[in-house]
Amino acid sequence: MLRDDRGGTRRHFLRTGAAALTMTASGWLGRLARVAGADPSRKRSCVLLWMSGGPATIDLFDLKPGHANGGPFKEIATTVPGLRVGEHLPNLAKWGDRLAVVRSLSTKEGDHGRATYLLRTGTVPQGGIDFPTFGSLVAKELADDRADLPAFVSIAPQRVLAPTAFGPGFLGPRYAPLVIADGRGGAGGADAAGVDRDLKVQNLDRFGGVAAARADDRLGLMRDLEADFVARRPGPTADAHRAAVDAAVRLMKPETARAFDLADEKPTLRDKYGRNLFGQGCLLARRLIERHVPFVEVTLDGWDTHANNFDQVKTLCGTLDAAWAALMGDLADRGLLDTTTVVWMGEFGRTPKINPQKGRDHFSKAFSTVLAGGGIKGGGAVGKTTKDGNDVDDRPVGVPDVLATVCTAIGVDPEKQNLSNVGRPIRLVDKAGSPIREVLS
Amino acid sequence: MIRWLVVSALVVSPTAATAGPRAGKPGPDPVALAATIDQLIEAKLRAAGVPPAPAADDATYFRRVHLALGGRVPSAAEVREFLADPDPGKRAAVVDRLLGSAAYANHMTTTWRGWLLPEAATNPDVAAVAPAFEVWLRSRVRADTPFDQLVTELLTAPLNGRPVARGVPADDPDVEAGVVGFYTAKEGRPENLAAATARVFLGVQLECAQCHDHPFAKWSRDQFWGLAAFFAGVERQGGGVREITGRRELLIPNSDRTVPATFLNDVEPEWQFKKSPRVTLAAWVTAADNPFFARAAVNRLWGFLFGVGIVDPVDDLHDRNPPSHPELLDALAAGFVTSGFDIKFVLRAVCLSRAFRRDSTVTEPGQRDLRLFARFPVQALTPEQLYDSLAVATGAPPDEAAAAGRRPFLEAFALSGRRTESPTTVLQALTMMNGDLVGRATTPGGGRTLTAVVELPGLTPAGRVEALYLAALGRPPRPEELRRALGHIEPAGVAGDKTKERYADVFWALLNGVEFRTNH
Repeated sequence: MLRDDRGGTRRHFLRTGAAALTMTASGWLGRLARVAGADPSRKRSCVLLWMSGGPATIDLFDLKPGHANGGPFKEIATTVPGLRVGEHLPNLAKWGDRLAVVRSLSTKEGDHGRATYLLRTGTVPQGGIDFPTFGSLVAKELADDRADLPAFVSIAPQRVLAPTAFGPGFLGPRYAPLVIADGRGGAGGADAAGVDRDLKVQNLDRFGGVAAARADDRLGLMRDLEADFVARRPGPTADAHRAAVDAAVRLMKPETARAFDLADEKPTLRDKYGRNLFGQGCLLARRLIERHVPFVEVTLDGWDTHANNFDQVKTLCGTLDAAWAALMGDLADRGLLDTTTVVWMGEFGRTPKINPQKGRDHFSKAFSTVLAGGGIKGGGAVGKTTKDGNDVDDRPVGVPDVLATVCTAIGVDPEKQNLSNVGRPIRLVDKAGSPIREVLS
Repeated sequence: MIRWLVVSALVVSPTAATAGPRAGKPGPDPVALAATIDQLIEAKLRAAGVPPAPAADDATYFRRVHLALGGRVPSAAEVREFLADPDPGKRAAVVDRLLGSAAYANHMTTTWRGWLLPEAATNPDVAAVAPAFEVWLRSRVRADTPFDQLVTELLTAPLNGRPVARGVPADDPDVEAGVVGFYTAKEGRPENLAAATARVFLGVQLECAQCHDHPFAKWSRDQFWGLAAFFAGVERQGGGVREITGRRELLIPNSDRTVPATFLNDVEPEWQFKKSPRVTLAAWVTAADNPFFARAAVNRLWGFLFGVGIVDPVDDLHDRNPPSHPELLDALAAGFVTSGFDIKFVLRAVCLSRAFRRDSTVTEPGQRDLRLFARFPVQALTPEQLYDSLAVATGAPPDEAAAAGRRPFLEAFALSGRRTESPTTVLQALTMMNGDLVGRATTPGGGRTLTAVVELPGLTPAGRVEALYLAALGRPPRPEELRRALGHIEPAGVAGDKTKERYADVFWALLNGVEFRTNH
């Protein structure tokens, strides 16, 4: 079987048909894909699909058929009997065996800003302490100092509501994300060329077409001219400046910069992800993961559906379903799904009760998050909400539990400590959290 | 209360008296305070067995003091003139000139706005009210409003619920109204206002005590909420902030405890009839005998000039984070009070001290400890300093200097943590290397500086390289640097436009190096 029922090519195809793939894609791409998958010492990585605005998880992963709160959407089967999801996620449903749905997440934060901070850092804002966002924490643990690409890339973040929930906090700029398509929120609708332009790193190309040889000369000149200054003033400022310039130069190397060139991908694959910013952002995430970037997040904004929830969720699902399913398939094809943990979450869920505008409002008492891929035992749901969706009925889970689970899945010790800006050591994940063992493979 | 403060407040008092000269009376002598600074710094260096770095040369001092007080590098012409000036008192003269300049007023305004409204860096709502706030602040800086008065005005601002003007202020803005931006930035919340007041004006971080007793310092949760209770009547109202003046107590959230407004030293306030409790708070905060207020201010100013505070971080004084030079902190505070809370007096004294005039090179291993002040610390430029310095160095016309590109540039170059440790990020490096601003300025025919250097007839190649060095780094090249640069410009076979390109390369290299990116 060269093609499986999910519409993606599978790993065994890659093994038997490597030559064919080398023919179709460029030579090195085929090699890269094979090497990436085969390396037993490969570190793990994480893709965070961040659903900004608070997705109506009751319409996606924890439907309430037969109850007034359920709304118009139907449930559909996944590839695993018993695990059912919303009808607008048909492609994702084919990956039921790799999905673990956590249906009993609960927080006290119903404000976008505070809730975003909580879900993305693992703690509520506490004056004085600059908590790092989860991606920065992971980047610090899994970064390879010799890598040409940064350890944390954030695609299309929408940072306005909680700016500090997207930064490296007390870990400092070294673990700040490389931000691409800042403020775009993954909104679809732009033309394909606009999407490609948005997904480029700013200022990666030399100004005014300065040729490579001249650029090298110029760089050498710069290093010579500042050498005396640096030698006579050893210290963190000079070191960090040189390190940043070196990193920038490595990022500009054609083979590194190529990570961001989506034109490398087959048009059919690009179509499968969806020709929108979120879809192509997920494709870029795969290209980065393949090149050993430990943490990539892709934002899809627009989930704050106070009015007209069902039309909006249906539209968003179209974008989400295509991109996420394509990402699963693509990672699997390249042998990367077992080392890449995919996390899907937003800052809260939405009220089970449907408001007069056919909308749903902020709701943090009982909502869902989904873990998939590497280190995760798929094919089931953990926790339960009541029939009306208003309360957690079984196996309540907190944000630290979820983050501790992800840490464990990617081989990072959640109890490890970093020194904070207030001089106090702070654990990666608060001690209130413990991994959800049921979903770990 | 913090132990050393109590002790030192008893021994050396900046205190006792009401604050010093206002109208007419001669102020204290900044030279005398500079001498005290050096005596105390050097006593500690001797005790530590660390010899200080040698004095900085004229060019280094000139660039340093321009960045520190004027927020930008000097122009090449200003450097030439200063270096040629034989007057032995020229360093004091340039400090005076800078303190009286519009550049100082702008730089000070930006700096204090950053301290008072740090939220503007990340929160667009606060960024929108920041310009109006700066209008108010700049008017006070320009008028040399004594610091205690400025803080009193801020803490007692009338809150009538009117929304604050957003965005670029009108040609004839309501200057007084802008001060309310402080309250908007703190969301009109008593706890945020208390935390900011303690942090900026008293130099202590109470935020932790919001939820529990402070882990290190002896601040209790009740003390935090007691301070917050002075703002108990403050609340948001639509787009503005108002106050119900009768309120003087606050319920601690998630508890059943109500605490009355209480000073941090647990003294019972004396209320003024029908006045906002903030009036009472402001009088206590800014009192000459408040052991925190003057020390917090001078420590912040010291940190502003050196990149490292005497207490460091500058707003985190507690038992386990004592000052490096307690007597120096006391002496600066006493001078500040005696001067009538004159910020320029403190800046002038420090800029004249030997400590500020030392080189930044490490000549002895012990000098690496920045808190000894054995040398001048290398500090990353703030985003504003960097942008404005680029404008000066590249010869950008003034309208371009204030162009639309400024705000995104400032965001991209935001510092994190201490200025002595704030690292350059990859995106910052890319912006400097490949971005429009430096790109245009280092393309032949682009920037004014480069065009002038390349096109001016009659200059030798060495003269052209020197001009680029003066513009970018505020100093002439050393012989070996000149040789290296000329080696790049004049190899066999390079001529005409190619030569221009080579000068552009030298300029690019200077603007991208760490020397340009720092004050040192």
